[in-house]
Amino acid sequence: METTFSEYFPYVHHAASRPATVRDGADGRRHPVVVAGGGPTGLALALGLSIHGVPVVVLEADDTVCSGSRAGAFTRRTFEILERLGIVGQVMADGLGWRTGWTYWRDREVFRFDMPHDENQKYPPAISHLQNWIEQLMVEEAGRRGDIDIRWQSRVAGLAQDSAGVRLEVASPAGDYALQADWVVACDGGRSTVRGLLGLPMTGMRYEGRYVIIDVRMDTEGLPAGRRCWFDPPSKPGGTLLMYKKPNGMVRFDYQLNEEDDEALEMQPERVFAQVDAHLRMLGLARKWEPVWMSLYRASALTLERYLHGRVLFAGDAAHLVPIFGVRGMNSAVDDAHNLAWKLAYVARGLAQPALLETYSAERVYAARENHRYAMKGAEFMAPPSRPFRLMRDAVLSLAERHPALAQLANPRQHSAIPLAASPLNAFPERSAGFAAGPAPGWILPECPLRHAGRDTHLTSLLGPHFTAFWFGEADAAPRIETPLPLEVVAIPPAEDVTGRLYPLYGAVPGTLYLVRPDGHVLARWRQAAPAEIAAALARARAPAPATA
Amino acid sequence: MNAQELDEAYTRLCYALTDAGESRTPMILARLALLLMQEVGDAARIGRAIDAALAEPPRA
Ligand SMILES: Cc1cc2nc3c(=O)[nH]c(=O)nc-3n(C[C@H](O)[C@H](O)[C@H](O)COP(=O)(O)OP(=O)(O)OC[C@H]3O[C@@H](n4cnc5c(N)ncnc54)[C@H](O)[C@@H]3O)c2cc1C
Repeated sequence: METTFSEYFPYVHHAASRPATVRDGADGRRHPVVVAGGGPTGLALALGLSIHGVPVVVLEADDTVCSGSRAGAFTRRTFEILERLGIVGQVMADGLGWRTGWTYWRDREVFRFDMPHDENQKYPPAISHLQNWIEQLMVEEAGRRGDIDIRWQSRVAGLAQDSAGVRLEVASPAGDYALQADWVVACDGGRSTVRGLLGLPMTGMRYEGRYVIIDVRMDTEGLPAGRRCWFDPPSKPGGTLLMYKKPNGMVRFDYQLNEEDDEALEMQPERVFAQVDAHLRMLGLARKWEPVWMSLYRASALTLERYLHGRVLFAGDAAHLVPIFGVRGMNSAVDDAHNLAWKLAYVARGLAQPALLETYSAERVYAARENHRYAMKGAEFMAPPSRPFRLMRDAVLSLAERHPALAQLANPRQHSAIPLAASPLNAFPERSAGFAAGPAPGWILPECPLRHAGRDTHLTSLLGPHFTAFWFGEADAAPRIETPLPLEVVAIPPAEDVTGRLYPLYGAVPGTLYLVRPDGHVLARWRQAAPAEIAAALARARAPAPATA
Repeated sequence: MNAQELDEAYTRLCYALTDAGESRTPMILARLALLLMQEVGDAARIGRAIDAALAEPPRA
């Protein structure tokens, strides 16, 4: 249930394309990777594959980016990934960075939280933005890369696979055709056609919370950027309402429907507009506004049990659905794409065994379950599932102002990168045990400024589409590592730690080495680098032991 | 806390809840539970107390 009142920006509508290689109803070219669905997951994956040297076909049913903005809040980890995808500058140019959340109970502010932030960071902890605008920037970047073939108005309608590859049926106004691929990645969203064609069930909680979301255009002068959340406000007695300032003079409201509320009635525009008016009146904001888009969002916490099925992989909403609280939908989808891009690229290029793809499934199923755990906690507080839940929640709110320690229970637990503590890729954990600080195998890199090769930069800016060995020491003493995998050794002599914070943050001494995956997760670390073990860790990443589960 | 003090605290709570009325009693007890969790500050002891509170009372 979605209504677009006016476009967020002029959408580019793409013609149905039928590639020249199609003859007699079949694409004569066999493709290493075909991505089904060109939403944020499919586009991020296509960019990642291209960056890792694999050309890709994207089949997208629609003729443009998503019409509503949907996801509106993005987290620091997502920006690190968008940086790797080459579009962070343009995204940041329009985003609104923030770090504060305000919680109101009735008409009083009872609690304020600041998301973790410090002088080491390159990006703010959260950014308000528009999903469709980020998609548009991804589409433009895909065009610039040259080896990403987005086929608009091309719907996957059938699928057959054997051990050698996948055959897809594509339906398009320009003519239906079949297409062969070595690997297919289903990024076709919450109602995934591919999931349906394979008959794969999702498991978890179909938690029937329903939320009305509306974006409006208005003068946002003086409004703070951040998350503002009201419990039981005079503008919506008994309910919960969230308000976010968005870029380009917009504001998002979202609020929950009660169990007995009739969806069709509540989604009548006049009804939703009256709620917006009531809330703005309560805030003393007698400003003119116009609606842009509104929609109904259902909360579920569902996932496939595995994301690898023969030669078909799943990512984003096609793989898992998360409740709205904690902004995990698109943020975790982009994380999926980033985890998968290098693995699939290395397998497609023959650099690694297909078993590497099993680790994608294991790691991201684990992340989805962690996301569910956090999101359900948030949902239970925002939308209590029973009367006792509501009683205890209200008790917390009534005490929050005077008892900040209890107010922690109201913290919305926004998305952050899930540490892959039990990943099958993590190597030499016994070496990691000797560190007093720093990220263990499976964690991502804490940010830190440094002066490298004569330039002021940040540690994560030194990552690239390859494994990275951060060698804490002088360049001429760096170990030489033999591996067929793309690897760069980056030497960080003590003199480059200009703030004096980097070495301690990583528990590093001269001779320490962190081996980091192309997706920024630590693979292994050594207080004193052991070149033979480094080579062994990389060899294991090329050919991980097949999963036993 | 000696027996006398316990008795006084108990009686004060009973009177206070009676004054507040039945409809406000659950909220006051919920607030009290949260505040006492803070005071106790020991997850294991709180856990044992929750278990004890949940145990089926002996039938009269
Ligand atoms: C109404 C709504 C509101 C939301 N609000 C928020 C929010 O506030 N915050 C948040 O973090 N997340 C939110 N989400 C979730 C977020 O939008 C999703 O997590 C995100 O879009 C997932 O991206 P995706 O690429 O996996 O799927 P999608 O964005 O759904 O993209 C799937 C793409 O596949 C295409 N497709 C579908 N079927 C086929 C087919 N058979 N063949 C070819 N292409 C196909 C579709 O056209 C679409 O472009 C919301 C979602 C919805 C639906």
